[in-house]
Amino acid sequence: MPIARFTPFERLLLTSRHQADTAALLLLGWVLANQGPVGGDQRARLATLTRDFRHDHDLAPLLEIAVAQDLDAIQLAAEVLQREARGGYPFLRLAIALATGQGEPSPANHHVLRFLADLLGVPPQEFAALYEATSGRSLHDPEDPSRQAYWQPRFEERARQEEEARRRAEEQARHAEQQREEGKREESRGKEDESRGQREEQQGRESRGGSRQREEQKRERRHHQPPPGGRQQRALQVLGLSPGASRQEIRRAYRRLAQAHHPDRFHAQGDAVMAGASRRFQRIKQAYDYLMREAS
Amino acid sequence: MRDLYRRLGVPPDSDSETLNQAIATCQHRALKRDAEAALAEAEHRREYDALHATLGDIGRLRARLGLTHGAHWRDGLADDFSCPADLAGSHHEALMRRLSRAALAHDRWRRWRAPALGLALFLLGLVAGAAACHWLLG
Repeated sequence: MPIARFTPFERLLLTSRHQADTAALLLLGWVLANQGPVGGDQRARLATLTRDFRHDHDLAPLLEIAVAQDLDAIQLAAEVLQREARGGYPFLRLAIALATGQGEPSPANHHVLRFLADLLGVPPQEFAALYEATSGRSLHDPEDPSRQAYWQPRFEERARQEEEARRRAEEQARHAEQQREEGKREESRGKEDESRGQREEQQGRESRGGSRQREEQKRERRHHQPPPGGRQQRALQVLGLSPGASRQEIRRAYRRLAQAHHPDRFHAQGDAVMAGASRRFQRIKQAYDYLMREAS
Repeated sequence: MRDLYRRLGVPPDSDSETLNQAIATCQHRALKRDAEAALAEAEHRREYDALHATLGDIGRLRARLGLTHGAHWRDGLADDFSCPADLAGSHHEALMRRLSRAALAHDRWRRWRAPALGLALFLLGLVAGAAACHWLLG
């Protein structure tokens, strides 16, 4: 009958030669786990950074606990560190070095590092100075993924990629069209002095080709349909704006486009042209009205 | 970072349908826009959720360690991720209590081991003798 049960971390802590070092190691493992997946490189880095520690047990079980983000173990480690550490600077230096080993720390680690600074009683100014001295870059406020601005660059990147893919597809379609027309021309040139039956056959083939062309056009048109996404996104696309445009930007874009596409400008060029311009103008106006209703 | 789930009024582990509905019916325009960007797409939501979980952990840790008013824990963070003070107490003290109780039990066992074993043997002998008498005389 066991007299008392202990968790794996408690057992490690009790058998450690130096409890504060074991606790510090667990918290460093937590920082490492928050930076991304922990591979062999990261383990080696942690081992070299903590080679002066006197814990005298294996690193692997401790890292396992840290990667699992066992909150009770982390709390115990934090308490031990708070109780035993003589000044937080050496530990914080290690934590900062681990978090900034491959560039900017992850958003999670921004908060973890600040928590550790609070735990060890290091005020913000001192922490910023320490961060700068250790990592060689200045300390920024953590980015905020609960704001739309954080995701904005990704949306823009995706829109750019989509635009590029569309352009490439268009170019390919045009290329294919050209080739087909050339082939047809050669064919008809070759067929000029051949018998009538053959010509009829060719006509049949051409009509088949025509139907294929129509099919192609249809596909292309389908491709040109607005990309799936909110109505707002489509409206912004019509006005050539990026998401997050202000009211003033929307108004300015609308004025410019409305002037360029106003049907009155195309009066002299015939009804068909004017009808096209009218359709374009309608679309622009609708997009503008929608955006002005929506935008705050 | 703000806790968008709390502000939308849905649990963090709700499925995308519930979430999208909450976003669609959200009356606050800026919040709606932010929630759409961060949560409507699965990939973005995974990333947001990872940070959300870490901040929740840190909020609980701060509550338990008495660091809810730390200098690095202000504004939106403290508003959304602070927990009410946790009365569970210090884990280190609990560990020490458990350790001392285990040591006490161990000591007591050492002290009473010999007499207890003797008494048990004596009782066993008594029971065996009574059974033997019963069998011979009965």
